[in-house]
Amino acid sequence: MLIAENLTKIYGQQTALWQLNLEIKAGEIFALLGQNGAGKTTTIHCLLGFILPTEGAAYINGLEVTKNLTVARKQVAYIPETVMLYPNLTGAENLAFFSSLAGFKYSTNELEAYLTYAGLQAEAHHRRLGGYSKGMRQKVGIAIAVAKQVKALLLDEPTSGLDPKAANEFSSILKNMAEKGTAILMATHDIFRAKEIADRIGIMKEGNLVSIIKASSVTTHALEELYLQMV
Amino acid sequence: MTRLLLKNFVRAKGLMLGLLLLFIAGCISLYIGHRFIEQNKETVEQSAHFQQENIERYVEYNQSSIGTLLYYLRFGLVHQAPHLVGLAIGQRDINPSVISVNIRNLEEQKYTSALMNPMYQLLGNMDFSFVLLYFFPLIIIAFCYNLVSEEKEEGIWDMILSQTAQPLQMLSIKLGIRFASVMGVLLLLLTLAGLGLNIPLDKAFVSFCLVAIVYVVFWFCLTCLVISFHLSSSQNALVLLLSWISLTLILPASVHALSTYLYPIPEAYGTVLESRDGYHTQWDKPKEPTIAQFHAQYPQFSSYNHPSDQEFSWLWYFAMQQMGDQHAANDAKVLAEKLRARGAFSQAMGWVIPTIHTQLSLNSLSQSDLLHHLHFLEALEDFHEDKRLYFYPKIFENAAVAEEDWSDFGLAFHQKPLEISGAQTVLPPLLASFLLLFLARMNWRMKMFIEKN
Repeated sequence: MLIAENLTKIYGQQTALWQLNLEIKAGEIFALLGQNGAGKTTTIHCLLGFILPTEGAAYINGLEVTKNLTVARKQVAYIPETVMLYPNLTGAENLAFFSSLAGFKYSTNELEAYLTYAGLQAEAHHRRLGGYSKGMRQKVGIAIAVAKQVKALLLDEPTSGLDPKAANEFSSILKNMAEKGTAILMATHDIFRAKEIADRIGIMKEGNLVSIIKASSVTTHALEELYLQMV
Repeated sequence: MTRLLLKNFVRAKGLMLGLLLLFIAGCISLYIGHRFIEQNKETVEQSAHFQQENIERYVEYNQSSIGTLLYYLRFGLVHQAPHLVGLAIGQRDINPSVISVNIRNLEEQKYTSALMNPMYQLLGNMDFSFVLLYFFPLIIIAFCYNLVSEEKEEGIWDMILSQTAQPLQMLSIKLGIRFASVMGVLLLLLTLAGLGLNIPLDKAFVSFCLVAIVYVVFWFCLTCLVISFHLSSSQNALVLLLSWISLTLILPASVHALSTYLYPIPEAYGTVLESRDGYHTQWDKPKEPTIAQFHAQYPQFSSYNHPSDQEFSWLWYFAMQQMGDQHAANDAKVLAEKLRARGAFSQAMGWVIPTIHTQLSLNSLSQSDLLHHLHFLEALEDFHEDKRLYFYPKIFENAAVAEEDWSDFGLAFHQKPLEISGAQTVLPPLLASFLLLFLARMNWRMKMFIEKN
C-alpha cells in the first residue's frame, strides 16, 4: 500500500534521506523511531508529495506520488504533530471544511459521528476551535483523517503533547483503522507507544533506515536499549 | 466550502472592522461631496442675485453714460458642474465655478478667482475619488497580504495540502469572498452616492462606476501576483505597501514633476504682464495707432472714430483695453497649449500607471479636470467677446442707458458636452489587470507544484 523505493532527499550538502526502501501493507501499522533530524518527517513528506525526492520514488496504492499527485493524495490522510485548524470555525465546521477539500460532503449528524468516534466530547463539537486544547485539536485532526476514508494514513508524532488517556484513545482508533485495512505509517519518539500499537518498528539515523524490528519480537525494554544503541 | 470560508471571514473581527472603516470613510467622502455641490449651488445662486443687484445699482447711478456704466458692469459665466462632481471634486476646489467679467481687458480677469478658505486648499478634499484611490487599496492589501501565508504560518497549510492537491480552488474562493466584500462596499457607496447626491444614472455615472470597479480589480490582481510568490506575510505586506506608496504617491508626483519640467510655463506670469503692459503703455502713446489696430481687428466698427477735439473717448479707452488682450494673445495661446500638453502627457502616462489613469478618468467624467477648465476659459473668451460686440456699438454711439433691458443680463452657463471613450476610460487598468493576473497564474503554476519548501 505504502512503498518507498530508494527514496532519497538531499538539500544542498545535507542528506535528509538516503536510499530508503520500505513497504507497508494494508492493515499494517509501521512506526518510525529516530532522533530529531533522522529523516522521519522527510519520509512522510515525500510520501505525501509535499517535497520532491532527489532520487527514488514513493508509491501509494501502486501510484507513484509525484506523477499522480491528485489521485495519490486522495488515498492518503495526514495528521501532523500539532494539528492546526481555523480558530474561527467550530470543530464540526473545520471537519466539514477539510472534508469538502477532499471532496466529501457530510450532514451534521455524520460530522458529529466522526468527531465522537475520534473521541471529542459532544459539547465541544460546535464550539469554536480557538478555545480547544491541543488534544482536542488533535482529535479533530483524527476525525478529518477518518472522514477522508483513505487506504493509507501518515502520522508525524501524533501523540506528542497528548495526555496518557487521550494517547491511549488515539492508539485504539489507529488499531481500529488498521483492522479495517488502512496502512499506517507513524513517526514518533514514543518507544512505548510504538511497541504498543505497531506491527513493525523502523529505526532511522541520519537519513538511513538502520533497522526494522517486528514489534511482537521484543520487549519495550529491549526495544529501548536497541534504540539507544543505534542512535 | 464557500459557506464555511465565508463564515471564517465574517467571524474575523479585524476584517469586518476594515470593511466598516472603509464604509465610514466612503460615507464621509459622500458628505463632503454633498457639501461641495450645495456650496457650489449657493455660489451660483448668490452670484445671480448679486449680479442683478449690481447691475440695478449701477444703472440707477449711471444713467448719463453707457460707457461709464459698462466700465463697471460685470457679467458672470457659470462653469456648470454635474452632480457627479461630488464624487471627484478634482480641480473644482481651486478653479472658480463662476467668473464675472466686465468688457475690459480679459486676460487679467480670467485668473481673478473667487475668495475661498485657504484651509480647504491646504487640506484638500477627502472626496470619494480620494477614498477610492488611497483607502480601497489599503483595505485590499490588509485583506489579502496573508491570503496563503496565514495558513502557512499558522500550520494549517499542511493539513490543506494533505486533503487536496489543488488548493488553488480553495484560495480562489477565499480571494473571491474578499473581492465580493470590498466590491460590495464599493457598490453600496456608489448606490448611496447616486441616491444621496442625485446623480442621474447616465453614461457618465455608469462609466465612473466602471472605472472604480476596474481600479479595485487592478489592486486585487496586483495582490494576487504578490502572494503568488509565496513570501511570508511580512514580506507580502512590505511589497504591497511599497507598491501602494509607489503607485499612489511617488509615481504620480514624479509624473507631475516631469510634466512641469518638460512643459514649463513662464507664460503664466508673462501673460499677465503682457496684458498690463499692452494696455497701460497706450496712455502715453499717440491715439491713432491704437485706434487703427482696433479698426483692423474690428472693421465693422471702422465708422467710429476718436473725436479729434477731445482728450478722451470710450472708443479710445476700449481700444487700449483691446491692446492688452492682443499683446498677451500669443502668451495666452502658448500657455493653454502647454497646459493641454501637460494633460496629454499625464494621460499618456496613465496607460502604464493605473492610479494616474483612474484619477484622470474620474476627474474627466465629473468634469473637474484641467482640460474641462481650459475649455471653460475658452468659453469665457467667447462670452466676453460676445458682450464686447454687443455693447461696443452702443457705447460708441452713447446709446441711452434706459433703452436697454438690463434685467435680461442674468448669469450665462457653460457645460462642455461629455465625450466618453469606453476604451480610453477603462482599457489601461483593465489590460494591466489581465497582465498581472496572467503573471500571477503562471507563478502559481510554477510555485504550487509539489515542492513545498
